[in-house]
Amino acid sequence: MGRHTVVFQPDGVSVKVAEGTELGRAAAMAGIQLKSTCGGEGTCGLCAVKVLSGRFATREGRILPERRRKGMVLACRTWVQGDMEVEIPSTSRLAAHQVLVEEGARREIAFERELDPVGRYGFHPVGHKILAVLDPPTLTDNASDLSRLLTRFRREDGRAAPAIGLTALRRLPRALREGKWRVTVTLVDAGGTEEMVRVEPGDSRRPPYGLAVDIGTTSCVVHLVDLRSGLAVDRRGSFNRQARYGDDVITRIIHAAERPEGLSELNAAVLETINALVDELLAANALEAEDLIAAAVAGNTTMTHLFLSIPPDHIRLEPYLPAAVSFPVVRAGELGLKLNPDAPVYVFPAVASYVGGDIVSGVLLTDLAHAAPVTLFIDVGTNGEIVLGNRDWLVACACSAGPCFEGGGITCGMRATPGAIERVRVEPGGREVRLQTVGGMPPAGICGSGMIDALAALHEAGVIDRSGNFRDLDTPRLREGEEGPEFVLAAAHETGGERDIVLTAADLKNLIRAKGAIYAGIRSLLAAVELGVQAIERVYIAGGFGNYLDVRDAIRVGMLPDLELERYRFVGNSSVKGARLALVSRPAWAEAERIARRLTYLELSASSSYMEEFVSALFLPHTDLDQFPSVRDAELGVRPCPGR
Amino acid sequence: MPVERIKERYPSKVGEVVLGATAAEGGTRAHRVKVGGDSTLPFLHFEGEMPNRPVIAMEVQDVVPEWNPVFTAPIRDVMGDPAAWAQKCVEEFGADLVYLKLAGADPEKQDHSPDHCAGTLRKVLEAVKVPLIVTGCGVEDKDDAVMPVIAEAGAGENLLLGTATQDHYKTLTAACMVHKHNIIALSPIDINICKQLNILISEMNLALDRIVIDPSVGALGYGIEYTYSIMERIRLGALQGDRMLSMPVLCTVGYEVGRVKEASAGADEFPSWGELADRAVLWEAMTASCFLQAGGHIFVLRHPGSVRLLRRQIDGLMAGN
Repeated sequence: MGRHTVVFQPDGVSVKVAEGTELGRAAAMAGIQLKSTCGGEGTCGLCAVKVLSGRFATREGRILPERRRKGMVLACRTWVQGDMEVEIPSTSRLAAHQVLVEEGARREIAFERELDPVGRYGFHPVGHKILAVLDPPTLTDNASDLSRLLTRFRREDGRAAPAIGLTALRRLPRALREGKWRVTVTLVDAGGTEEMVRVEPGDSRRPPYGLAVDIGTTSCVVHLVDLRSGLAVDRRGSFNRQARYGDDVITRIIHAAERPEGLSELNAAVLETINALVDELLAANALEAEDLIAAAVAGNTTMTHLFLSIPPDHIRLEPYLPAAVSFPVVRAGELGLKLNPDAPVYVFPAVASYVGGDIVSGVLLTDLAHAAPVTLFIDVGTNGEIVLGNRDWLVACACSAGPCFEGGGITCGMRATPGAIERVRVEPGGREVRLQTVGGMPPAGICGSGMIDALAALHEAGVIDRSGNFRDLDTPRLREGEEGPEFVLAAAHETGGERDIVLTAADLKNLIRAKGAIYAGIRSLLAAVELGVQAIERVYIAGGFGNYLDVRDAIRVGMLPDLELERYRFVGNSSVKGARLALVSRPAWAEAERIARRLTYLELSASSSYMEEFVSALFLPHTDLDQFPSVRDAELGVRPCPGR
Repeated sequence: MPVERIKERYPSKVGEVVLGATAAEGGTRAHRVKVGGDSTLPFLHFEGEMPNRPVIAMEVQDVVPEWNPVFTAPIRDVMGDPAAWAQKCVEEFGADLVYLKLAGADPEKQDHSPDHCAGTLRKVLEAVKVPLIVTGCGVEDKDDAVMPVIAEAGAGENLLLGTATQDHYKTLTAACMVHKHNIIALSPIDINICKQLNILISEMNLALDRIVIDPSVGALGYGIEYTYSIMERIRLGALQGDRMLSMPVLCTVGYEVGRVKEASAGADEFPSWGELADRAVLWEAMTASCFLQAGGHIFVLRHPGSVRLLRRQIDGLMAGN
């Protein structure tokens, strides 16, 4: 079988592949990531590309008719049979993700200052540097370089000498002589033992750095942490390259379990993602890989398994068991992370299959586990994880809200990147619509906060009923689409886009199921501890989605409990921030393990009342309107809707 | 020592729905039928009021029904003539109401036109003087065409029309509003969806006292306890003051029993089960009896034998009133 050259346009990059290589894989080899939510099953239609020339085989998949008419094919259903030239439209590419890392919302920064986690746990960074001045060797004082260094530790600090990593040892002879027997040694806590991971000639003033990592199902965020000041000096974020194997954890677990190379492909994808971000950080800050002497990694349980290449197969199958919930401290080198090869990598412990280290990290960051007020912590990501408790008790659950708030499974859904519709106003009767997009760009799709706003606005304008069904209205915006009735938020002629931006009847049902799942999860946790909604004294909203969320909208559609707005706080990406905390405070890291063990996991699929709570939440705002008194009163005209 | 009788006091009661209209009210019925109004759990006469007796409707179809011989035997002479069939149900079998199912509108069956269906309704209205319940064939698109015509043809008669579901209630609700009829709101053995549908219908401005709940019943031996428990909760909700659960309840017992093998398989197939003729009737009667005690108000039956048995039971249970 021959090898063929595939050229991708408009990038102009080419790659040589074996005959029969799947086109999507060829694109990945050329460094181009395509959108996909189905894991290459040909059912999501997102990876459509246009073949300009060449021989190929393709199989029918689900693709928009207007795209098929333009001669487009699905990359996951197309195989290379000769030299090819392929055009990849921007709509099929995974774009870079700017908003992820913006510390953004001011409310979030103010709240972090208020929390002061480092003040709470104490500043004890994972690593530090010391200057070691040694006596030069002589013919009579002829101990080895390492013995000489260790003797210095014993003599001056009067303590057991630290261990040394191989990388540092390899550098030692030259550094000692270059620095004229003055060297800067970087010491790091390698999981209970102190170890030298770096030796630099002379007195190096450069601080040691750590890497805080949040591995999300959808995206990865890294913070570069100055271990001397404790501050994050730089941040990067991008999509998790595992997205090419499916949008949600279940699809990825199936991929890992059922394809021979599945697990290693997923592991390689997440490492590539993180290493690419590390490369950017190193270049932007003029650092070397060896300067990064420790990492702390938080992710959901599946992401953690895939990061460590541990088979995640049984997370998906009853009784839903992860391989482990605590993980050993490993070295960057053995994982394939491009840091100092001897850098210890701390991986956050998980609670259960669907409440992972990212949540433990969030609880660690906030004062949830140590303060008296009953606090609700919600992380709305690809899954919705919820923690309720205070210093005396903590319960957690995961509800399968699905990926729709991150743009998945919604016809025109997208993440909160420029062009995403984030605000929607609909005039009564649904003829006029006013939109606001992220960055004021022409609308390209709708993001989670926009969807929640749209749901509330469409109901208020009488376009949909409380079940989310369209009413029979005489407005050109309501029409029969390919998948049933749909409402046009922005027509292509208004936006200049490739297609109209619509919300279909199925989208609305998806949204109501997602918001219902979250509210039902909250109610189930409350029921487990026999508390009412009003017992919640504070609500912490975590996750990137929270940055853009308007709590008033979320209450109006019945996703969040009807509490005073003052009780709500935004923590942003608490997962990466908790990881940062672990790097600058050893006591905090020790606490993470305790928190993970303290969290009581409530398995909703085993709860008899969850289904009932769920169905009653599949209504706007809820079947029991008494649970949303402010919404009820606003509808009755007693007083305006919360804050409006 | 005298024993004090402990009585539960409820803040509210089940709403009352009136079916049919006499000449005085603009219709042609001989009398009206009231259902609901209970201020206590079923038949606890010592504790609260139960002002209206539960009623029995008999099912009549506009086609020859595909029922097993036990259920067709009593109506063999009138099948295919809905007016004569309805008359027999009222005059001979003593039905309180007639439940006319327009099964023939089904495009897979006779595909009767809306006007044809309206003609059937007129004939039945002439043949009997009891209030009527009329339901479509169950094919949503066809029912959307048929039921507005039925509502118009029956204007003034204060009919009970079916069937609205959560995803398909608007056309029927509008028809009921325009021509002043009552509606059957069907939910799938789920108290939340039951309540949601009532809210949806009432938000189209149909009055709450024009809605009757069909909670989806099951036959004896087929998860009957699920419906029992849902009906119990609906009743408790109504008594506690939840207006969106305060409607009377209709139980399509005949339809459910007609689907199970216990009421259709002969003794040759299951010798230990005994004769089908007795068993089928008892199965329908037992199922109805169960829902009577769960709080049902309108029972739709098929066999005159079970009608007789259920009526006797209602008499007995109402005797303490």
